[in-house]
Amino acid sequence: MSFKSPFLRTWLKVFTGLILLFIVAFDVSAGGLRGGQKGSLWGGPVRGTVMDDKGNPLAGVTISVKGTQQGTSTGDKGQFELANVEDGAVLVFSSVGYMQQEVKLKGRSVLNIVMKDNASGLNEVVVVGYGTQKKVNLTGAVDQVGKEVFENRPLVNVTRGLEGVIPNLNIKMTDGKPTRSADYNVRGTTSIGAGGSALILIDGVPGDPNLLNPADIENVSVLKDAASAAIYGARGAFGVILITTRSAKKGKTQLNFSSSLTFNAPTIKPKFVTNGYTWTKNFDSAYYSYYDYKSHPQKANSAFPFSLDYLDALQQRNNDPSLPKTDIDPTTGNYVYYGNTDWQKVLYADTDPSTDQSLSVSGGSDKATYYLSGHYAYQKGLFRYSPDHYKMYNIRSRGTVDPFPWLKLEDNLQYSKTTYFFPLINHADPVTPIWRRISDEFFPVAMLFNPDGTLTQNAAITLGSFVSGNNYSNQGTNYISNTAGFTAKFLKDRLHVHGDLTLAYTNYLETQLFTPVPYEVHPGVGLQMGDSRMNEQNNTTNYTGTNLYAEYEQHFGKHYFKGLVGYNYEHSLLKSRYVQRYGLINDDLPDFSLIDGQAFTLTGGGSEWKTLGGFFRLNYNYDQRYLLEIDGRYDGSSKFPEDQQYGFFPSASAGWRVSQEKFWNVSPNLVSDLKLRASYGSLGNGNVSPYQFLATMPVSKLGMMLNGIVPDATHSPNVIPNGLTWERSNTVDAGVDAGFLNGSLSASFDWYTRRTTNMFTVGLPLPAVFGASVPKGNYADLSTRGWELNLTYRGQAGGSSNPFHYSVRVILSNNVSYITKYNNPNRLINTYYKGMKVGDMWGYVNEGYFADADDIAKHASQTLIRVSSANLPLPGDIKFKDLNGDGKIGPGDGTVNNPGDMKIIGNSSPRLPFGINLGADWNNFFFSAFFQGIWKRNWWPGTDASLFWGQYNRPYSWMPEDVLKNEWSPSNPNGYFPRLRGYVALNSNAELVVQQSKYVQNTGYIRLKNLSLGYSLPASLIRRAGMSSAKLYLTGQNLWVWSPMYKIIRTMDPEVIDGSDPDFTANAGNGMDYPMLKSYTIGLNITF
Amino acid sequence: MAGLLIALAGCKKNTLDLQPFDVLNPASAFRTADDLQLYANSFYKIFPDANTVIRGDYMSDITASKSAPTYLVPGGFGATMATGWSWSNLRNINYFLQHYQQANVSASVSNHFQGLARFFRAWFYFNMVKKFGDVPWYNKPLDVNDTALYKPRDPRTLVMDSVLADLNFACANINATKDGTASQVTKWTALAFKSRVCLYEGTFRKYHTELGLDGTATQWLSDAVDAAQQVMDGGQYKIHVNTSNAAASYRDLFINSTPSSDEIILSYVCNASQQIFNDANWYYTSATYGDRLSLTKSFIDTYPNIDGSRFTDQVNFDTITFANEVQNRDLRLQQTIRMGSYKRSDGTVAPPDFTYTYTGYEPLKFTLDSKATDGIAKNDNSIPIIRYAEVLLNFAESKAELGTFTSSDWDKSVKLLLARAGITNTAMPVTVDTYMQQTYFPAVSDVAILEIRKERAIELALEGFRYDDLMRWKAGNLLQMTYTGLYVPAMNTLYDLNGDGKPDVSFVTSIPANKVAGVYYFLIDNTQTRLTDGTSGNLIWLNNITREWDDYKYFYPIPYNELVLNRNLVQNGGWDHP
Repeated sequence: MSFKSPFLRTWLKVFTGLILLFIVAFDVSAGGLRGGQKGSLWGGPVRGTVMDDKGNPLAGVTISVKGTQQGTSTGDKGQFELANVEDGAVLVFSSVGYMQQEVKLKGRSVLNIVMKDNASGLNEVVVVGYGTQKKVNLTGAVDQVGKEVFENRPLVNVTRGLEGVIPNLNIKMTDGKPTRSADYNVRGTTSIGAGGSALILIDGVPGDPNLLNPADIENVSVLKDAASAAIYGARGAFGVILITTRSAKKGKTQLNFSSSLTFNAPTIKPKFVTNGYTWTKNFDSAYYSYYDYKSHPQKANSAFPFSLDYLDALQQRNNDPSLPKTDIDPTTGNYVYYGNTDWQKVLYADTDPSTDQSLSVSGGSDKATYYLSGHYAYQKGLFRYSPDHYKMYNIRSRGTVDPFPWLKLEDNLQYSKTTYFFPLINHADPVTPIWRRISDEFFPVAMLFNPDGTLTQNAAITLGSFVSGNNYSNQGTNYISNTAGFTAKFLKDRLHVHGDLTLAYTNYLETQLFTPVPYEVHPGVGLQMGDSRMNEQNNTTNYTGTNLYAEYEQHFGKHYFKGLVGYNYEHSLLKSRYVQRYGLINDDLPDFSLIDGQAFTLTGGGSEWKTLGGFFRLNYNYDQRYLLEIDGRYDGSSKFPEDQQYGFFPSASAGWRVSQEKFWNVSPNLVSDLKLRASYGSLGNGNVSPYQFLATMPVSKLGMMLNGIVPDATHSPNVIPNGLTWERSNTVDAGVDAGFLNGSLSASFDWYTRRTTNMFTVGLPLPAVFGASVPKGNYADLSTRGWELNLTYRGQAGGSSNPFHYSVRVILSNNVSYITKYNNPNRLINTYYKGMKVGDMWGYVNEGYFADADDIAKHASQTLIRVSSANLPLPGDIKFKDLNGDGKIGPGDGTVNNPGDMKIIGNSSPRLPFGINLGADWNNFFFSAFFQGIWKRNWWPGTDASLFWGQYNRPYSWMPEDVLKNEWSPSNPNGYFPRLRGYVALNSNAELVVQQSKYVQNTGYIRLKNLSLGYSLPASLIRRAGMSSAKLYLTGQNLWVWSPMYKIIRTMDPEVIDGSDPDFTANAGNGMDYPMLKSYTIGLNITF
Repeated sequence: MAGLLIALAGCKKNTLDLQPFDVLNPASAFRTADDLQLYANSFYKIFPDANTVIRGDYMSDITASKSAPTYLVPGGFGATMATGWSWSNLRNINYFLQHYQQANVSASVSNHFQGLARFFRAWFYFNMVKKFGDVPWYNKPLDVNDTALYKPRDPRTLVMDSVLADLNFACANINATKDGTASQVTKWTALAFKSRVCLYEGTFRKYHTELGLDGTATQWLSDAVDAAQQVMDGGQYKIHVNTSNAAASYRDLFINSTPSSDEIILSYVCNASQQIFNDANWYYTSATYGDRLSLTKSFIDTYPNIDGSRFTDQVNFDTITFANEVQNRDLRLQQTIRMGSYKRSDGTVAPPDFTYTYTGYEPLKFTLDSKATDGIAKNDNSIPIIRYAEVLLNFAESKAELGTFTSSDWDKSVKLLLARAGITNTAMPVTVDTYMQQTYFPAVSDVAILEIRKERAIELALEGFRYDDLMRWKAGNLLQMTYTGLYVPAMNTLYDLNGDGKPDVSFVTSIPANKVAGVYYFLIDNTQTRLTDGTSGNLIWLNNITREWDDYKYFYPIPYNELVLNRNLVQNGGWDHP
């Protein structure tokens, strides 16, 4: 760890400064301190503090003296004071969401009480659409997590923080980039037609969670079933995520400051062959064997010359390390390299620090409240040269004013700014991810620098762009959003009317710069590679949204009614602009005014949508025993065809609190609570991209020259059929909520079926003479079944004076989708077909290796599967099983009925995603551990996955050590990989390209996502410094991961193995992306 | 609050009708002449791009390549592998023809655009007919429920008559102003293309007597003559000559960014400042990237001597070594392949590089002398698609096939090409070229036809004509010809290809332990590579892989899936195996 960087020095100064400040404050206030109070024996005052089990002060806790009218409640720092309490009296502490506690005074006058969460959670208040509800009264499938998920764990990215915390909220990260967002999927496959993901609302407004300050989040609620999401009608088909930020609270000013310093590193450091000779020898063998032992390579990919002579010379230098690593070829005068380069050391820096600072102030009087927060996060990226770096700034201001007793006005303002700098390779357009370029072109024998310090040619086509600098992408997002609203209360607080208006503006600007990279092949002859160009992508989004709704509530004896009716309108307009021009006049002055090339691009674009809807919700319950809810929304969306813009989406749900029944006489020590729930609803899939249902004629550059220019062109429109209708999802949900062991153990289980119907998918294949893509229509149906389980246990050990609290929370879920209708009458297996389980993988059965020529001759013909250029199999090549016994290996008709020698060999959908939370606190120490994972998921490495295949992919690919030691050879006949041949994991129909049983991996995993250890400074000490809480913590994230795949190979993080960095060339090979990060954090959190 | 009221007031029925604002739609795309031009620009995508043209002779009898084309390997090709039955370009054209009259333009502008669309439709169908023979004819975009989707193929005569009608309309109505950038379609482009189509159809019908259409060949050939004659009489084009260096006249047409529009009628224009490139240097000078196309010795031998005499008339012409055989030949030879004396622009001597060539005759016709683009797709030389030389050859061949070719026809066609090639005696030969006859066309005894075919092969080498020519001449069997290379007098001997005193190559059965610097050791493994006489003779490449021609291969198979989708489609004979 290096403390040389100015960044680190600054942070350390700030950090030590804060500690000093804290100590000084302690000393000063200690001087003026009253002595500790001694309790009086009879009728003395009692004072103390109430905290939650994490050491946070709890305001508003009711304290009553049992059997008397005497009582009070805690202030904002959790403090309370009662005068004249008899010794021996019993104080009752109660607060919503916490277990009631009775404490006998027994001569004490100072009490520090820790309130335990109400483990059953049934008293919890849960955020639902347009309101809140007591958890006991819920009838739909709603899950909520609180701010604790984001605490003591620096997160530049809120999405990552939500991974694995709510069952069936499936968040799949593509890679480890700080900017990376992800689709929020609720309960599995949504639509294979129009697509669609969950609707994400931040304080009721669609927004990007990654622009949030994690410290601002109060809770996150997920509406999973149709009943709970129906109030969002056309956009709730696949669930709703409600993120609620902290609001201002009445009471004395509270100031919270937190600061942390983190060191990051890739979770996985793949071990590659770095010995130049080993790699090169293997390169030659892989090439030579692919060409049937007839020709040796002349080059390693595009630039590095190779010959057998070179290999000899390399061997000589390998045996005698004292020989120089570079040389000059006497015939050409060019450099020759004999390197042993570990590219990972060249690519990644030694330390990657990041920091996070956040400050919030809140308070208020009876008439007005305020909440102000600021946040700054900085993450320096991984690279050694031109490292990426990410910055985020957030400001939030919330406040309320009550001008009249019946009226409250409120405002919620958010400003966020993020910037991200990322180095680019100046080699091709679109840009290739650096990892793929290194695999293709940066061999261990190649070197970064020539002896005179200039870049080599292989460097110039890979990492040279990073080294020379001035090749980068700079992304910036500015987001500002303001919601102004009012709440009016009428009829003795029974009728609430709420209205709000939100205006939000997002500006995204990305600049990419490319300047040529200098390099030398021949000493003294300077060459350049790459473009000289700059481009800018600018997107602005203007959003307007408004809600007006009224809620009425009434009790009649044991009957309870609540009704909600409202209206919602939203409009969003995105405008884009892209500019690119070639020919910078001066590389150091990148501005469009200083670019004069003839080739330029200027395009606009954008999209627009509107929704409007009227909605209602009716709640009824009898004696809190029988619960009923009916919701509905009449919704309109501009995203649908003119005659199909409106739809009605109803739902109903009911609950029965069995444990409230008189006949229920199970002891609360065993089952303390039991509720059964069921719901049904039908929602529209309107959370899709606009204009999918319109015939359009885009105009774009022709890409060729006519009459001296590159003109624009348009062409015939896509064909859109008539009579389209909405995709719908119908969900049935049944659930149980239960509390056991006096509320220590709580469980919640939901089972559901979601049928997605009328999915907008391609029609029956038409003869090619049609001349256009087959129009899509409402042709497919899908059924997803699943369940989710949530178990929490909270326990306590030790005496009440010094208790050890601990908790275990387990979440587990599963879902499986089947295609119930699809336009594929022949049931071709290369697309969806009726009856297909989504994710099924078809492939051949690997029967081991050919043993000898006789084995090859006797085996079924494998001519369709290629092993080499002339396709001449040898011992050590893969033998496939002739499943249908026809004497040849092939795909048959490629249909379910005749799949030839293929069968289902796996399923790529994740199974049983889980999360396990362990927590404990004792005295002032607290501890938590969070494991997250997926039980099982099949994965096929695919082509260009050199992280898995090494030199079986391209003979010049990088080579994992795990692969090298596991190659088949006559002396290693059980090697995991076959006879070494290049291109067999790349070329079509090659032996490692055809999907087959043996190489399907189980990429399920378990990872220790978070491990925290903290210490709360004793309240008695910090109170003297005016603090109500001060905590220090150490956190490690992503410290450990294991996957069954690691039995074979350990080059990839199983979480990010699908696809390559999506910011660059598509399909650059699985796993070719920004690594997941593991991090170590030290932080502090102070509340005044 | 005001916002709420406004929003509520906005709840009219049509408030949700939002049209995309960054695209046109069928109602807004056809109003003015500029709109029509904007749409018509998309037709140009139908032209082959530069990279397609420079790869055009991959499957031919005059080139050797890295691997044998699968189409020719026995059992290597079938209807499940077939491609090219793709009709989106036709839909695009027919959609235009259905809508262009919405525009408020004059009749002549309207007809110009109709002509343009029909020119491209003719281009589309000509290529379909060349490939598949009979194809269904459609002159409007089809609906999903159209029964015509499932109709059988229409006869060749119907389709080609429709193509001719389209071309005639195009020739009569497309703007006649010559395009000095050689990139847009004009009347002259249409006429030149018409000569190509009519020559193809005329000769195809004449030689493929099995079609029973030979009686109609004459009319097509006459149309070809007529179309070519109109271009020649139009006076817009001539054979390009480089006035400062006559020996560079021919290659000027292929390596310059600005097309020589005196001769080039239509070009795929590449341009560095507009970032439009081809990959000729990479394709032709890489051991791994391209097909390693080389010309064969059998073909190189047809290049005449500089005095106009036939190289193959010399005694023992087939045992002359490379350094000598390339001397005093038709100037197009040194502008088509690397001769020993070839130098890159940085002055390095660059004899044929056996890393890239299997025969020794390494093309440089499309490659730039600079090394800057050897490994990347950044060549900025424009590549011709139609040029005046072809029109002259179309003219000459049509007349010769009609039997009306005269020496004055020679003088205004072939002779002009020979003169540019530096040939001193350009008179029309009077004796049969027996080498041509024996090696290529034993059934042809007409002096003029043989000479014109020879000239066509040389002049248009590597430009993508050869396969089509073999098809229409019914000479597909030539695709079985051995890939022959240069003459090797002896193994294990150092050869100097360019007479600079430094040895360049040696042919060996194993790489010697002590190698001479700068020498490429070409391995004769007697499998892929061999010499005709074992230890000496012509280099033979890839003779171990059988290439097989059968007459059914004159037509390409219809993709198997299409036969399943439309039961009325009948597969071309011979391709019944899937």
